[in-house]
Amino acid sequence: MQEGRVLSTREVNRDLLRSILDTPRWFWPVVTVLGLILLIAAIAVGIMVNRGLGVTGLNRPVAWGFFITNFVFWIGISHAGVMLSAILRLAKAEWRRPATRAAEVLTLFSLMTAMVMPIVHTGRPWRILYWVFPYDFARGIWPNIRTPLVWDPSAILTYLTSSTLFVAIALIPDFAVLRDHTTGIAHRVYSVLAMGWEGNARQWKLQIVAGVLLSALILPVFVSVHSIVSWDFGMAVAVKSWHSTVFAPYFVVGAVHSGVSAVAFALILLRWCYGWQDYIRHEHIDALGRLLIVVATGWFYFLVMEILFGMYGREADELMVRQTQFTYWPYNFWFILFVITTYFIPVALWLSRAWRRNLWIMSIACISVNVGMWLERFLIIVPGLINKQLFTFVWADYRPSIFEYIIIGSTFALVTMLMLLFSRVFPLVPLYDVKEGDVLKTQVQIGRRTVPATFRED
Amino acid sequence: MASSVEHQTGGHGHHAGMWVFPRKENIAPDVAGKTFSMPSGYKLALGIAFILAVLGVVGFFIRATSDGFGSPGPWGYYAGIFSFVFMVTGAAPLVACAFRFTKSHWRRPLSRVSELFAIMGVVNIFLFIPLLLAMPSIKNPEVQGTDLEVRRTLWFEVPIGAPYTWDILCFVGLALCSMAILWLSAVPDMAQARATATGFRRSLYNGLSGWWYGTKRQWNHQKAGLALLGAFYFMLLIFVQFIFITEFAMSMVPFWKDSVLPPMYTVMSFQSALSMILIVMFIMRRWGGYEGYIGKAPFWSASKILLGLTLLWTYHLFAFFVTYWYGRLEVEQNILKYVFVQPYLIVFLANMLFSFLVPFALLIWNPLRRSAWGPPLAGLAALVGAFLFNMRTFAAAFNTGNHYEFSLSHVPAAVWPDIWDIFIILGGLGIAALVYLLSAKLLPLISIWEVKEGTLYQKMGTLMKGEYLVLAKPE
Repeated sequence: MQEGRVLSTREVNRDLLRSILDTPRWFWPVVTVLGLILLIAAIAVGIMVNRGLGVTGLNRPVAWGFFITNFVFWIGISHAGVMLSAILRLAKAEWRRPATRAAEVLTLFSLMTAMVMPIVHTGRPWRILYWVFPYDFARGIWPNIRTPLVWDPSAILTYLTSSTLFVAIALIPDFAVLRDHTTGIAHRVYSVLAMGWEGNARQWKLQIVAGVLLSALILPVFVSVHSIVSWDFGMAVAVKSWHSTVFAPYFVVGAVHSGVSAVAFALILLRWCYGWQDYIRHEHIDALGRLLIVVATGWFYFLVMEILFGMYGREADELMVRQTQFTYWPYNFWFILFVITTYFIPVALWLSRAWRRNLWIMSIACISVNVGMWLERFLIIVPGLINKQLFTFVWADYRPSIFEYIIIGSTFALVTMLMLLFSRVFPLVPLYDVKEGDVLKTQVQIGRRTVPATFRED
Repeated sequence: MASSVEHQTGGHGHHAGMWVFPRKENIAPDVAGKTFSMPSGYKLALGIAFILAVLGVVGFFIRATSDGFGSPGPWGYYAGIFSFVFMVTGAAPLVACAFRFTKSHWRRPLSRVSELFAIMGVVNIFLFIPLLLAMPSIKNPEVQGTDLEVRRTLWFEVPIGAPYTWDILCFVGLALCSMAILWLSAVPDMAQARATATGFRRSLYNGLSGWWYGTKRQWNHQKAGLALLGAFYFMLLIFVQFIFITEFAMSMVPFWKDSVLPPMYTVMSFQSALSMILIVMFIMRRWGGYEGYIGKAPFWSASKILLGLTLLWTYHLFAFFVTYWYGRLEVEQNILKYVFVQPYLIVFLANMLFSFLVPFALLIWNPLRRSAWGPPLAGLAALVGAFLFNMRTFAAAFNTGNHYEFSLSHVPAAVWPDIWDIFIILGGLGIAALVYLLSAKLLPLISIWEVKEGTLYQKMGTLMKGEYLVLAKPE
């Protein structure tokens, strides 16, 4: 039997537009709390800008700490959108339908949040201009376009632009539904956004072609973004343990791992907040869990390669970094926690079908992955920098300050708030995709059993 | 040869012939008939494969008697062809396991084609032994008590039996696991055929499937067993490939420290295995009379995977290339020049052409992907690319010179194959073809039970005004 009830178009519209047409009671208090957290973070940034980076735990040689770790983390989360939307759309995976919009939107907001981190990290945000403009026109000193640090903004901005386009194209039919369900200013705004959508055959064809084309075109961008982020590290021969050829695929798979886990958790939250039990069903979370077993195992393989070949060279300075990761307190603790939370706990949970369908257990597994993936980036960056020069004049450890904790914590509040605000004006589950999925559903009688089936559009 | 099975096809327009729906009751006798017959074309292929295999044996003995196993240099091309055969035949059984795991119905006609390569796993053990003999020892026999005493190796503390015992155990484990997959998958078909088969085949089928009666419990155990074995084989294969490419290529070149090489090798093995399966299916469909079982759908679906693997391989190569190139370390530049862009430049460019450009240029076109010949053609190119990759990598690695140096301080000259190397290469291909062709006469090339099962889960259905394929997916 098919899972879930068969829903009429009217019911789909009513349920999925509920977040827009009716404001839940909890909505504004939650947004206010998140806003307060952001305000505190803004004050922390202000103090940091005023007093300088000395208020953070950054030092020589650990010039990259929590901010860059968090930057890589949010870039990683942003990979979920394309993974779920583009790849599963191209693969015609039916279970993708309710998950795509939330994944794409999470991509947008996590990318924006990630982009904030290097700006904060400069300590003097206006210095960001030096990435684009020359230091001094008279001297003709231009940014070094051969450094991955300059490739980064290009790749991320391209990804942001294409992801925005991706979301916007998919939203058009839903804007038309909203246009038809609203009045006054909202009606006029949605009318403009719907761009004259009437749902005729030509418009649908164009919309589908655009979706498929964008899916195919966005994939190279998706891969390039985290590859280039990995090369921020991989190209640096001075920091041992960073100059590794496997970094690009390792980072991309890790990003998909954390991103898809984040999407699964976001879907569970949305189901709970808006009562979308008929749309975000256990089968969808189950499918995400199965996908995550494969992704996590792939990621674990790359992790083993990275560590093993780090030691394979038998170079003293690289072995020193590994020694720091594996044996020095607190990094050894963080390392064990990282491996357990990223792979062993979640995969052990996902192996059971019953646990994949238990939303509490899935939530724990997905949060566990992201705790681990955050630690992963931290353990790549900091132990490498601590051992950057064997005879450095300052052999310092890195102890993040309260400012860094506040700013890092606020990024989670920022993404949550942006997602909530988005859900207030745009549907977070695509209406047309869900309706299309319902049309394609059917059943096949095999002997005495009725087996769920789908019409393939191919 | 026209199929003797009455069948229906599904799809219209550019979907014509996309799906085939063989009649369930005709499948077993028809496939058995094809398996037990020996057409003249098949005999010719067997004859050619046998002659090539003999050439290989001659080349091997002349190489062994003239050069011995004291130095790895002369065995570079042997390692290359072994790696190519291992790459294709080792990964091929996994194709069936992977798509069975994802419950892809289009995989049904290719399952047995892929699993039959498991038999080559046993032959691979014997082909691997000369490489162990030719491999330089981990400990430098000429130097004692210095940093150069041990060359870079995966066997950090050189445990007892390393590397020979562990390497051979890896290949034995892989062969056993793949044979178990083949056996478990073929049990229902052998049980059905034991009633009609005669002579040796009858004894074989009775021995291997005498316990099978097709009870529900047996089916459940068989499916669970296949899933477990598939997962285990996947992990084991990746581990063995990692050991092999590191031990016999990377560690032979001083300071070649490349963490993306094992994943790249694995991705290429998946690419080449899928390519080989597509080529075999094309031959079966075109000349073997199996068009009633193999529609265009498997080619179409597999072509997307092949395109993905092609891009993935190129991405891994680029990740390696850009990291070494950008790093500007002298030793890495020397490795880059040696293995890629100087003495073996022509081979590298041809490798890129066949492994990436040709398959990519073919597979991005929908009409080609939808055809029965487009994906196999791309696959053929990918196989040529994989062949060149292995030749270049292993010929370079085995002829580095002093394998115990701390780093590669110069760029050695290329070593091109002599006549005996060519004999060995042809022999490697011949042995693999011979074993496969003989295996296909023992077990059917079509997994009868899977195709029968597929007829229950796939049918054409009408939605609004159009006719579409309906796919059932039981949990």
